[in-house]
Amino acid sequence: MSNLENLFNKFEQAASSPAGQLAAYKAQGKKAIGVLPYYAPEELVYAAGMVPFGMWGSNKKTISRAKEYCATFYCTIAQLAVEMLLDGTMDGLSGVITPTICDTLRPMSQNIRVSMSDKMPVIFLAHPQNRFDENGLRFTISQYTNIRKKLEEIAGHPITDDDIREAIKVYNACHVEQRRFVKLAGEHPEAVSAVKRSAVLKAGWFTLKDEYTKMLKELNDELEALPKVEWPGTKVVVSGIIFDNPALLQIFDDYQIAIVADDVAHESRTFKTDIPDDADPMMALARQFANRDHDVLLYDPASAKNRRAEYVAQLVKDSGADGLVLFMQQFCDPEEMEYPYLKKELDAQNIPHIKLGIDQQMRDFGQARTALQAFADVLAIG
Amino acid sequence: MHDIYTLGIDVGSTASKCIILKNGTEIAAKSLVDVGAGTSGPHRAIENVLARAGMEEHDIDYTLATGYGRNSLMGLADKQMSELSCHARGAYFLFPQVHTVIDIGGQDVKVMRIENGAMTNFQMNDKCAAGTGRFLDVMARVLEVKVDELGELGAQSTKRVEISSTCTVFAESEVISQLANGSDSRDIIAGIHRSVAHRVTGLARRIGVQDQVVMTGGVAQNQGIVGALQEELGCEIHTSPLTQYNGALGAALFAYQIAKKKAAKQS
Repeated sequence: MSNLENLFNKFEQAASSPAGQLAAYKAQGKKAIGVLPYYAPEELVYAAGMVPFGMWGSNKKTISRAKEYCATFYCTIAQLAVEMLLDGTMDGLSGVITPTICDTLRPMSQNIRVSMSDKMPVIFLAHPQNRFDENGLRFTISQYTNIRKKLEEIAGHPITDDDIREAIKVYNACHVEQRRFVKLAGEHPEAVSAVKRSAVLKAGWFTLKDEYTKMLKELNDELEALPKVEWPGTKVVVSGIIFDNPALLQIFDDYQIAIVADDVAHESRTFKTDIPDDADPMMALARQFANRDHDVLLYDPASAKNRRAEYVAQLVKDSGADGLVLFMQQFCDPEEMEYPYLKKELDAQNIPHIKLGIDQQMRDFGQARTALQAFADVLAIG
Repeated sequence: MHDIYTLGIDVGSTASKCIILKNGTEIAAKSLVDVGAGTSGPHRAIENVLARAGMEEHDIDYTLATGYGRNSLMGLADKQMSELSCHARGAYFLFPQVHTVIDIGGQDVKVMRIENGAMTNFQMNDKCAAGTGRFLDVMARVLEVKVDELGELGAQSTKRVEISSTCTVFAESEVISQLANGSDSRDIIAGIHRSVAHRVTGLARRIGVQDQVVMTGGVAQNQGIVGALQEELGCEIHTSPLTQYNGALGAALFAYQIAKKKAAKQS
């Protein structure tokens, strides 16, 4: 087996077996903290010497016990996160951070508090909408300080400023390799299938970032050494919250649709913004949140200018993609509300796109297969 | 150069259709079996079409599969393509002035924009049976009529009855309520046709409707739906007696394009 295949296997193993990852960290005596979407300062978890563990639903579970708490219009990501907490899948966690950026996550944070607080600490996080000015930054810092205190209690020791500075260094180094990988995957679709690309990025949610960065750098170096190959298929940018079901990704590979860039919350939206330099590491984290931009979930004072849609359209052009595939997560209000503006801009710039509705309870992708094959036909003609 | 025979197979969710084309222009034979993907339908349709053409499998130069069950014919078909591309191709062959194709199939509704014979944009229904052939099947069952009688019965409507819900399950309840209230089933059928047209029009407007508009798929045989769609869209809708075979026709045409290229390379 080549080193490249060997590395892909490691990422695929981590991505497909979060429970195995969690058990392995526990066996090393490490504590793990569940981190729900979006934009929790997991650097603080790392700084506390614990493992931040991403919780973005599941493609394997069925919603059952979560119905006791969740309204039917919660997205499946949220419902399945609750399901995994209730059914014992996440019992290995020592706590969970619940951000509240969207209208589903806000009530869900309380569902989790009510249902889980006897089992583990539930750490509430309310990001500010006005995150740019001094008050916004101070508010973010106060929220993050609360998280820091709660994490210190769980870890049983203080988190020093130097610990956070070190975590920031580790995370920024990881962002560099993650962005490098996205670019290299786009340049080498013959080596990085859509299924593999997803596994590599997903593994980052279940692996300590220093380990992950080391593996990713090794993979990137291998990819960089590959000769340039002319891609016979089409190229797209993918947008949405999450698309990580291997059966769905396989359709991209079957029809030679290469993913050359993404605007996906579970992927590039998370690591496109670095943590800036600041003498105060808590301020650095708050400023990173303030600097996040072109995001459906975050307030944009200049939203009337349709900056986000322009950004996505530019991403398609800059990456050399032929079009855009938008995965619309069922019941995701922010994405649904933004779509008409995105469509308007893409149409204005003659960028072909398709919108496919998905949720994590889907097991059959026949309709998506037809639509993606037809879209590849359209792009090939264009 | 010898004659080129190509076979197009459209394995839909509710029916299997085959067409054998001679030299990409002449229909040598066609067949239809009323069951689709996952059944014996596709193989029976192939046997029938070959028998009607007096041919054996090896007489076919190229076979192309399309439709929901297109991937199930890997051993039989040389290639498979999406039904959207094939419907667009078939409609262009039958109506060279086409710019919009509306295809209502068993479980999908698709609207395609065509420029110079090529599909440049499309829209599909969401994961919902409203406005599809399945919706009509359910309604026909509740009304105790055959689905192919709906068009004729709806034409006899004398009073306007609204079926407001677009959800198949709730629309079924609505139809039951209308029946319980003594509404005439022919009026209800006309209401169902308008409900389907309303749903499909919404989808079509997402990509813009441009003349000529061609409707394909089995549901296009229902004149009640075609009429309701014409009313909603405010334009003429063209249909062909081959409407149900349109996907298979497109597949056979693409197969011919490929077979011709292969033959040219060999000679």
